[in-house]
Formats: sequence, C-alpha cells, structure tokens
Amino acid sequence: MLTQIRTELRKLATVRSPWLLLAAGPAIVVAGITGLVSDGGNVHDPAVQGRAMAHVGLAAVFTLIFGILAVAGEYRHGTITDTFLSFPRRGRVIAAKLAVYGLAGAAAGLVSSAAALAAAAAWWAARGGALQLSAADTWRTLAGGVAANCAFALIGVGLGALVRNVAGAVALALAWIALIEGIAGQLIGPGLARWLPFSASEALGRAAITATRLLPQWGGGLVLLGYAAVFAAAGVLVTLRRDVT
Amino acid sequence: MTEIEVRGLTKTFGAVTAVRDMSFTAPDGKITGFLGPNGSGKTTTLRVALGLVRPSAGEVLIGGVPYRRLAQPRRRVGALLETAGFHPGRRARDHLRVLASPAGVPDHRVDEVLGLVDLGSSGNRRVREFSLGIRQRLGLAAALLGDPQVLLLDEPANGLDPGGIAWLRALLRSLAGEGRTIVVASHVLSEVAQTADQVVIVTAGELRFAGPLRELGGSGGALESAFLKLTAVAG
Repeated sequence: MLTQIRTELRKLATVRSPWLLLAAGPAIVVAGITGLVSDGGNVHDPAVQGRAMAHVGLAAVFTLIFGILAVAGEYRHGTITDTFLSFPRRGRVIAAKLAVYGLAGAAAGLVSSAAALAAAAAWWAARGGALQLSAADTWRTLAGGVAANCAFALIGVGLGALVRNVAGAVALALAWIALIEGIAGQLIGPGLARWLPFSASEALGRAAITATRLLPQWGGGLVLLGYAAVFAAAGVLVTLRRDVT
Repeated sequence: MTEIEVRGLTKTFGAVTAVRDMSFTAPDGKITGFLGPNGSGKTTTLRVALGLVRPSAGEVLIGGVPYRRLAQPRRRVGALLETAGFHPGRRARDHLRVLASPAGVPDHRVDEVLGLVDLGSSGNRRVREFSLGIRQRLGLAAALLGDPQVLLLDEPANGLDPGGIAWLRALLRSLAGEGRTIVVASHVLSEVAQTADQVVIVTAGELRFAGPLRELGGSGGALESAFLKLTAVAG
C-alpha cells in the first residue's frame, strides 16, 4: 500500500492542474467573506461571523472536482493503463487514491480555514469590530468545513471511478448541487431532503445555522461519511470488473 | 522461463467476438511478430496478457503465471500499448519517475532509459511539447524501465520516422540478443520480416499460423503473400 500511496503523491506533485483547483478553495472563501462584509454584514453580530466561517464548507465543491480527477483524469489521459500495469490489484490503487485525495481535501480545508480567519480578521478590524475567537461556534464551523472538504474529495474519487469521464462527472456533480438536489428535495419533502448529500454537507459545514430543515452537524457528518463510503465502494467494485480498453 | 502462452483464449465484447479460442506460444528469448489486419484481435490479446481485459474463456500465462499474479510486474514485463497515454502537463522524466517506484527501480534508472531511447536531453520537457514519435520513444522508455525479461509491444513503430524505425529495429535486435522474450504486434510486414524469428498470424480473432518465419519463406515479399493468403476471407 505504501508504494501505491507514494506513487499517487508523485503523480500529484508532478502536475499543476489539481493544485490550481485546490487553490480555488481559499480564494473563494476570501471572496465570499469580502462579499458578506461589503453586502452590509454587521461585524458585531456573532451570527455574521458564523456565516463567514461557513464559507469553508462551501469551498468543498472544489475538493469534489479535485477528487473526480483522481480516477477520471487518469482515464482521460490514458495514464490509467500504466497505473494498472504497475498495480494489477486495482482495489489497492483506488484505496491509495482515497487516502491521498481525502487527506489533500482535508488539507485544502485547513488552508481555507486559515484564509477565512485571516480575511475575517482583516475585515472585522477594518470595520471596527473584533473576531470572537473564543466563540465555540467558530471552531465547530471550521472543523465541519474541513470535514466537508475531506468527504467531498472522497465522494469525488468514487464518482470519478464510476463515471470515468471527467466532463460527465463534473457536469453531474455540479448539476446535482445547483439543480437536481433542490428539485429532488421538493419531490420527497423536507423530512427526507435533509438526508441528501449537499444538505448533509450544509449541516456539517453549518452553511445555514438557523435552518431547522437540516440535520444536526454531527448527523450531517455521519450521513456524508456514509455517502463517501458508498461511492468509494461502488467505485472500487466497478473498477475491479471493468475492462481497460 | 519467460515464454508467453496463450491458451484457448476467447474474448467477447457484447455481441462482438474479438478473439476466438486462440492458442499459441511466444517462445523464450525470441522475437515473435504478432500479425493481423486491423481489428483482428491482436490488441485484445495483448490486453488480456497484461491483465487489463478479463478473458471470457482461456488464459494467458507469462512464465507460467497470469500477469495479475506477478509480484512486481514492471520488473518482469514491459509493455507499450497504443492507448497508454501521458498527462500533457507532466515532464518526461516525471512520467517515468511515477512508474519507477512501482517498478522498484531507483530514480537514476529513469535517466538511463531516457538515454536508451535517445531522449536524454528532453527529460525536463512537458509531454504536450512532444510529437507522436517522441511520445512513442517515451512509451518505450517506460516499458524498459524495470529491465524486464519480457516485452509486449503494440505497433511500436507508430509515429516513428524512417530513422526512428531503423533505430527501433536495432534496439529490438539488441534487446533480443540479451535473451529477452519480445512480442511485436504490427501490421507493417516488412518491419516484422526484418526483426522477428517467429510469426503468429491472426485474422478476425482466430489464429491462422504460428511458427518460425522461415516456414513462410523468410523474405519480406514472401511474408506478404503468405499473410494475404492466410488472412483472406474464406470462400
């Protein structure tokens, strides 16, 4: 397993595109917090501070696409052939990708958290306020955001292994977040809709702390972990069976 | 023992039978030319041999073992496949470094094989800058990385210019001279006539001939006429 993991790290270290994708997370967090303040957010309101920190969880959309590239990107460039020639036991390849991409997703979440704290500290100071770092809520939100970044990277790895086509998998993921989950939620009602993956990630990253329609944070985390496990298992099973032509 | 045995191999993709009950042996330490028209099942056979495609029936053994059961397959078997690709943004040396740790070879072996395929000065260039012929050389470098006893090469002359083809012929000859078992799938008959000891001819997924090249007359022209006769649609 160590050789598989080292190989995945080398693959990541020798190309640029995944890093640009991961860098987009902190960038969107800074832009989002700037937007929140510019839009009249009151820096003396603790709830506004919570909403600022919740941007970290929303940045998980980038770790999702990052995860999709792990397997689907290899099919796109044809490097999957060399990968399976190196490691005929394909399940271990996917397992190594889950480990590496999951950790990289969590690391991206940590960087986004640091960016959120720095951006918020700068804006709060500029508006004559002060960040309440002692507020437990801030840390809970950031921790949930990091977990969401990790879970979405794992879901992306599984989804990319299932779909194998980068454009198809990314389109499906974005359409799900922007459109499909909302419509599906209306069809099945709010009681069931909160179990859907994006709603679970909102609960985990506390994107809408006041919303009663969401699961509790820990519940959202468990549900998202369940989705990650299902996607990863399905991705492994399909990868084991499929011919590489 | 590194002979390659194809035993009763059948592979169907949906309703299409790509390979039908094929059996032959590529002997130890020889160059075997694997010939057939486009779509005759050569690539599918090689992909089964490499564990990329699961056979519908039969098996392919390398030194008595299926590829999937080899412990460090890159040290035993080197492969060049048409569909094997490169990340366009990765440097040539990095492409090989990614393959070096699973092959269990140190990183300085990467520079050795780059030199072996005449890419010693291009290691720091990104693959997107490479022509088809240069990519083919990089693919060969990858196949040679683990210093394998067995080489499976699918259309290795693809994209090479005449100088490159002459270079490839010399390379294959010197690799075979070291006692390696080499299978070259190709439809360029004149190339095979100049390099192979053995030939296997297939058409429509079925074996038509397997044996020493001299049994088909030896020269390029004789091989061509034998090939056309053997691969002609019956009736």
